Amino acid sequence: MSIIEATGIYKTYQETKVPVNALNGVDLKIEEGEFTAIVGPSGSGKTTLLNILGGLDLPTKGDILIENTNLKTLGSRQLIDFRLHNIGFVFQAYNLIPVLTAKENTEFIMELQKIPKKERSKKAMELLEAVGIADKADHKPGQLSGGQQQRVAVARALASKPRFIIADEPTANLDSRSTNELLEIMAEMNRKYHSTFIFATHDQRVMDKAHRIVTIDDGKIIGDETFEGR
Amino acid sequence: MKTLIKIAWRNLWRNRRRTILTASAVVLALFLALIMRSMQFGSYEQMIRAGVNQTGDLQVHDTGYWANQSIDRAFFYRKKLGETLHGIKEIKSILPGLQTFSLASYKKQTKGVLISGIDAAVYNKQNHLSNKIIRGKYLNPNKNEVLLGDKLAEFLKMHVGDTLVLLGQGYRGITAYGIYRVAGIFHLPSIEMNSEIVYMNLKTAQNFVYPYQPGLLTSLSVFIKDPGQLQTVKTETEHRIGPNYEVITWKTMLSDILQTIKADNVSGQIMLLILYIIAAFGIFSTVLMMTMEKRRQYAIMVSIGMEREKLVWVSIFETFIISVIGIVIGLILASPIIYYLHFHPIPITGEMAKMYLQFNIAPVLPFSIKAHIFLSQTIIILVLSLLSALYPIIYLSKFNVLKAFRH
Ligand SMILES: Nc1ncnc2c1ncn2[C@@H]1O[C@H](COP(=O)(O)OP(=O)(O)OP(=O)(O)O)[C@@H](O)[C@H]1O
Ligand SMILES: [Mg+2]
Repeated sequence: MSIIEATGIYKTYQETKVPVNALNGVDLKIEEGEFTAIVGPSGSGKTTLLNILGGLDLPTKGDILIENTNLKTLGSRQLIDFRLHNIGFVFQAYNLIPVLTAKENTEFIMELQKIPKKERSKKAMELLEAVGIADKADHKPGQLSGGQQQRVAVARALASKPRFIIADEPTANLDSRSTNELLEIMAEMNRKYHSTFIFATHDQRVMDKAHRIVTIDDGKIIGDETFEGR
Repeated sequence: MKTLIKIAWRNLWRNRRRTILTASAVVLALFLALIMRSMQFGSYEQMIRAGVNQTGDLQVHDTGYWANQSIDRAFFYRKKLGETLHGIKEIKSILPGLQTFSLASYKKQTKGVLISGIDAAVYNKQNHLSNKIIRGKYLNPNKNEVLLGDKLAEFLKMHVGDTLVLLGQGYRGITAYGIYRVAGIFHLPSIEMNSEIVYMNLKTAQNFVYPYQPGLLTSLSVFIKDPGQLQTVKTETEHRIGPNYEVITWKTMLSDILQTIKADNVSGQIMLLILYIIAAFGIFSTVLMMTMEKRRQYAIMVSIGMEREKLVWVSIFETFIISVIGIVIGLILASPIIYYLHFHPIPITGEMAKMYLQFNIAPVLPFSIKAHIFLSQTIIILVLSLLSALYPIIYLSKFNVLKAFRH
């Protein structure tokens, strides 16, 4: 069974004078353990799609089934709780709470999940170790480079043991070396913990690492390729 | 919760200068409010104390005397009444008095005066009248003599040893008449009292007004142990002595002083309002900025699964911490000054001093150290600051996460 099953997704933004049809009938299935890139030109609807898959926004039409839950059926409070326990997020930048250290940021989400302190602390260190910045555990985001911050964000996203992780252009603000490192880490997490990643990108180097590339244009999926053995 | 407090605390110290500035606004407002209120209440308390010293906390009269203060509403002291009053635990002391208006003349001068018959020894203990004698001596309890104010003596052109003639209405329609030697001349701060009052022994006054039966009084001034118990003591006294007597509190007797205080208090409250607006505005604008600049951060927190209610707590803690810091520093700064000025009151000069003297009050500014002043100001500031947290509370419970991302 797929982790995500999106069928007939339409999204129209009504706030503007002229309504914008950002998604025009998207069908997409994501399987457990996939490492999928959503690509497409600017304005094609990548962010819109990820927001909807992540339960941050609701489609105008269509259904999102995550495991057996239809997101449509959840109230806003339930939706927040659902995100907390099922979906990890890595945003483009400024992901972290600036006044908390790398470790505290990683622990924070587990605290929201009411995981006991000892376990939190252990798990946070383990994850920071895994993303390669255990030595910076007590640094605040301001004392970390952009790439290091994104790695902490990945650690935090993994800390909640989500069903899948959504990352909207996680490397957009990084130089090529940091981009490479972050992708390596995400890929390794994907191998090691069998975590499912879905990320949007413009970046050819990022696409090259993906196991599956879904191409979107004008709010429609126009290509879906899987690369075995990457 | 602990993490939320930690976040709030660190948020505040990220922008150290702004936090200090905001807390300073609170400190300033509280400091000024405390100094001002303590000074005001101090002078009110002083005015009231001076008044109560004269009247007593309560007075017992024949029913109807207060409304129509005629000598015909005087009453005869009965032992049982005294015993009843002394039987009330809260009562500290009782001062009998007989007051009546009369004409006073010496040679060609005549003037209306207020005769006040007093228990010379007890009255002196209460009011230290003997210290105010500038010529001659204080009343000898066994002599039929009088004390005059220096203004009255000047008007009547009298000196110690001269004989004063008093003529007035006595009890039950008789004519009261007497001649008395001036034992001493006093000077009280109040001009009115200096030019109006004639003190004599209670017995002398009783004889003057009604020589046929001893023990006539117009009032029993009652002093109580705890001023806070005024109403309770009044009720109990009324209950015990029955409907033939009325019990009047100083609040009625000194209603003109209370009126003055009330009017003055309004101006104080307006000043306070201005101070509070400054403080509230300072806190509010800081809270507003802190919320606005963290919109993105809040959006991320909600996205990853934090409930909005918890987010709101961060704002509440931030506001609370700033105001508590301000309050603590404000209290620390203001308290020693207020305590010092309570025990070392500032002397007053000029016009103000004259006004004080008219009320028979020493012209100094003692500061009040009543707890209610500190408490009420602290609570008001706290409430105001928590009110300014209302904005982020409303904002955070409504804000659109995706919009916040785009900013
Ligand atoms: N809140 C909104 N209100 C109106 N139109 C919007 C809104 N958000 C996105 N759009 C429009 O919807 C379309 C899809 O936007 P979206 O952000 O999903 O594109 P994208 O593929 O993520 O682009 P980019 O690569 O630049 O991030 C665009 O035309 C955009 O202008
Ligand atoms: Mg986008």
